[in-house]
Amino acid sequence: MSGVARILGGGAAVSLSLAILLSAAPHAAAQTRAETLRQVTGNTVNTLDPTVPGSTREAFGMSMNVYDRLVTFERKANGKGFIFDFDHMRPELAKSFDISPDGLTITFHLRPDATWHDGTPVTAEDVKWSLDRAVTAKSLGPPQMLTGSLTSASQFTIIDPMTVQVKLDKPDRLALPNLATVYAIMVNSKVAKAHVTEDDPWALQWLKEHEAGSGAYVVDVFKPGEQIVLHRNEAWKGGKDGTLPFFKRIIAQTVPEAATRANLLARGDADIAIDLQSSDVPEIEKSGKLKVVSTPQFNAFTVVAFNTRIPPYDNVKVRRAIAAALPYEDMFKAAIFGRGAKLYGADWTTTPPDGKFPQPMPEHTDLVAAKKLLTEAGFAEGFDTTFSYSVSTAQINDPLAALLKESLGKIGIRVEIQKLPDAQMSTLVTEKKVAMFTDTPISWMTSTDYFFRNFFTGDQRWNYSSWDNQDVVATAQTARFEPDPVKYEALAKKLVAITADQVPEAFLWQPSQDAVMGPTVDGYTYWFHRQVDYRDLKRQ
Amino acid sequence: MRKLAGIARLAGQRLLSSLPALLGVVVFTFVLMRVLPGDPAVFFASGPSAGQQEIQDLRHQMGLDRSIPVQLAFYLRDIGTGSFGRSMTTGQPVLKDLRERLPASLELTFTALFIALGLAIPMGVAAALNPGTAIDHAVRFLCTLGVCVPTFVSGLLLIYVFYYLAGIAPDPTGRIDVFTAPPPSLTGFLVIDSLLAGDAEAAAAALRQLVLPAATMALFVLAPLARMTRASMLAVLGSDFIRTGRAMGLSRSRIIVVYALRNAALPVLTIAGIVFSTMLGANVLVEKVFSWPGVAAYALDALLASDYAPVQGFVLLMASIFVLVNLLVDVLYGLADPRVAAA
Amino acid sequence: MSAAAAAGHALHVLRGNRVSALAAILGLVLVLAAVIGPLLTRYDPVTSDVAHALQPPSAAHWAGTDQLGRDVLARVVAAGRLDYAIAAAAVFLSFIVGAVIGGACGFRGGAVDRWVGRVVDVLMAFPLFVLAMAMVAALGNRVENIVYATAIINLPFYIRFARAEVAVRRQAGWVEAASASGNGPGRIVLRFLLPNVLPAMAVQISLNLGWAILNAAGLSFIGLGVRPPTPEWGIMVAEGARFITVGHWWLVAFPGLALMLSVLCFNLLGDGLRDMLDPRMRT
Repeated sequence: MSGVARILGGGAAVSLSLAILLSAAPHAAAQTRAETLRQVTGNTVNTLDPTVPGSTREAFGMSMNVYDRLVTFERKANGKGFIFDFDHMRPELAKSFDISPDGLTITFHLRPDATWHDGTPVTAEDVKWSLDRAVTAKSLGPPQMLTGSLTSASQFTIIDPMTVQVKLDKPDRLALPNLATVYAIMVNSKVAKAHVTEDDPWALQWLKEHEAGSGAYVVDVFKPGEQIVLHRNEAWKGGKDGTLPFFKRIIAQTVPEAATRANLLARGDADIAIDLQSSDVPEIEKSGKLKVVSTPQFNAFTVVAFNTRIPPYDNVKVRRAIAAALPYEDMFKAAIFGRGAKLYGADWTTTPPDGKFPQPMPEHTDLVAAKKLLTEAGFAEGFDTTFSYSVSTAQINDPLAALLKESLGKIGIRVEIQKLPDAQMSTLVTEKKVAMFTDTPISWMTSTDYFFRNFFTGDQRWNYSSWDNQDVVATAQTARFEPDPVKYEALAKKLVAITADQVPEAFLWQPSQDAVMGPTVDGYTYWFHRQVDYRDLKRQ
Repeated sequence: MRKLAGIARLAGQRLLSSLPALLGVVVFTFVLMRVLPGDPAVFFASGPSAGQQEIQDLRHQMGLDRSIPVQLAFYLRDIGTGSFGRSMTTGQPVLKDLRERLPASLELTFTALFIALGLAIPMGVAAALNPGTAIDHAVRFLCTLGVCVPTFVSGLLLIYVFYYLAGIAPDPTGRIDVFTAPPPSLTGFLVIDSLLAGDAEAAAAALRQLVLPAATMALFVLAPLARMTRASMLAVLGSDFIRTGRAMGLSRSRIIVVYALRNAALPVLTIAGIVFSTMLGANVLVEKVFSWPGVAAYALDALLASDYAPVQGFVLLMASIFVLVNLLVDVLYGLADPRVAAA
Repeated sequence: MSAAAAAGHALHVLRGNRVSALAAILGLVLVLAAVIGPLLTRYDPVTSDVAHALQPPSAAHWAGTDQLGRDVLARVVAAGRLDYAIAAAAVFLSFIVGAVIGGACGFRGGAVDRWVGRVVDVLMAFPLFVLAMAMVAALGNRVENIVYATAIINLPFYIRFARAEVAVRRQAGWVEAASASGNGPGRIVLRFLLPNVLPAMAVQISLNLGWAILNAAGLSFIGLGVRPPTPEWGIMVAEGARFITVGHWWLVAFPGLALMLSVLCFNLLGDGLRDMLDPRMRT
């Protein structure tokens, strides 16, 4: 045998041993596989405390499983799964609650048998400390709690060791729902207080990496950017009718590549994913091997926003022209593969059928009308403009932008597409420097006045069009404290009608959230925070 | 002994003289990150209801309300005291993140380099022994083919074929099967740690996870390694001592393996050093595709989020490794070649 | 060596090296396709036709259609122009700048040389792909910025190379003769030294062309590449690769093939050039 052959043989041996390694049968999974849920996601849980500035959406979702709130929303059946029920609430950490007839006092009665993860009992003092933290700490909490008239620690009083009272200035319809949101976590104050520092009186730093909750799951492993592993809290009392969740162990793993996530599910190695590519989902559904629970995100809406502070978008006719020139149907089909609820193509003209928001707007693709509007606005020759979106949304927005550019080109508007890294995009949007862009804002609360106060008035980031319509501002404020449902409905209809007429944003659709899971996984619920709540799931 | 001392002195000098370059890297990265139009405070204060006040607070907390030269001075002071800042993306100190993730990248890169050398050296030798023949051309063509496919494509294809279709590769998610308990961490290299803990099963699981990503990376670096092996083998085979060896009637395989290959190894070593440091920093895409918790993917996520500290820490780490690897190669050179130390 | 003799030598080498010859022919075909191809395709590369989206290859669409119903073949061909332009511009830029700076350093030496050397060290120590990403992120992902980013990360090599080659030659007799006959230093570097370094650099240029295309593709994969709807191989491959699992293979296969063949061709040509210039390597 010549030297060459021997050396080549060595190479072959290396490749051969690789092949053997590859084909070696994987070790049998642990016997608790059936009781283990493995979620794969493109994103990461970056903090265990969801109120820390910078928390990812996945961190919000994780906190629902690890921490209890005083109250929670009920859920209702919807297609193959469930959706959260904004109108019905039930106690969670609390045993019960009652609201005074004037709507100004909410009293929470605690469970005598509720315990924290370290086994110590839950006390009124803990609850008071947690509520104080939610409205006082330098965190994401206060601005959110503010929307429910919860602003100061003085509103929370301990009546007795098992009773806490919340006082309101006005009967705010969003006070109780706010206590069910992500930020109103109930924390074991004795543990947290042991880790406060002078600069950090609410232990934000420590709670970022450690949990001190009472929720259905306890954190075993927390590796941001890789995985988080939970085990079931056998002493959990917050479940509906006191039941424990089905899964004993949860593994939530970060898998950045969406195609790989789809592969993992298809092979049965992962149990659930809610962030697959919209292009993969129809094929998965067709193959019938996996279960797809598709829910239009009824608390979100995708828009093309016009910055009304930047000419020519200060001209309502330009906004109307573009809204009339958008190729809605093509976009709906090519960008999200028709997976969502349309927010265009309604047939009313001046008065909407009801006060719901978001609801389909009376826009249709009509290039002739668009051209006419543009000419009336004084732009017969069209103009140059930009259209922006963030890199992380490119999968949907690349095709959307290409179609928008093509269609607006037909009425003479020359669009330059800007695809920006996410941090740049959010900076420019906050600084109100983007002329026209697309995004999908989401609201935790689904009242019409809340949408309008957050997304169409004020100076904050979420008022994408920097819209400053005094009629809208006044109407939304009035609606907020309007107790009469009939009057509220009239105000809400007015808000929707003004928006349809003034077109601060062109409404496209509510994208579906496609939760893809193994055929045996059941009970998926679409929550306001758009994440998986493991407590809902079971294996058949 | 004197030779060793000479090499140590040279190494010390080299280290000292590379300090300005490292400082340059730090300053340049720092400025580059500040030029990024994204404001990390805005990005990270993006809760559903975060307002201007939260953004201001966060900016203050991150020190972004100071002027850039002041920020730089603070940053340099922090580095001096061994602090690289904190990642907003993971919420952890950058140093801790890097320490946890560097072994992952190193393990992957070493394995890839091992596979690449295991294939490239025999191929290069075969080509050098048969210059101008079909074997030579085939080697060249095969190696070049590896460089032509972007790593994210070859990675996705390998996953598709070996995991999705054939089902013989483990699921491409990280360093060890999620249902296998990882060994206690000593070196950070999972395979070695498992073996040290006497857990052959975990070692096999970790090795299986390594195969596909390492093969993806190896494909990409075959060409320079094989090419250099071929060139330096050719040079050595043409030299006098080989001819003498042949004249003395030594067997062909003995000449090739014992004499020629050993002498041709040095240039290959140099290239391997360069390939190693490039791979370590450049395998962003492989780490992304295989969900590998390495340093490069970490830096990419941070970059897109305008999260300054991790990117700066990553670049400094890579630059330091670059310097160290080059130094190591030089030292090895010095040990092997008396002329280098004398010079 | 006269031009005729050089051509003769080239032919001789090509005859002896069929791989290089094939690469040369392939290269010509590819460049030709990129230049005149867009005139021949039936479809416009950016006009959408959503009704005919995601169709497999057929008589009407030889390479199928993409998510927006655009003809993949038309896009692949149109993308060739852009990709070659990006690669050529980036490599040309780093070559020119690198040759001038490196040449000046090699010729002058001294403090400037040392300082430039330091800067080059800094660049060399950078993880290059991350540097390219950061630059595109900082400057915005326009075509010209992708060119700059690619050029900068190639720059250190050209500076070093030109510096070393010029430094070796500056003491040569004919350089001193040129200097004695009244040529200024700038003229000597540009007229006499750099042309002599050029052939050796040509090898690297060819290799870098392929590499520049891959670099652009990598940037596209992480979303920092050319912006839609402009067709570019990297972004087409990156998008298409994600459709493999669901069976839309044509989205990745055709642009991928074009990209692969181009890079292969540039690399083989580079190798061939090296052999042509350095016959000793092929004893």
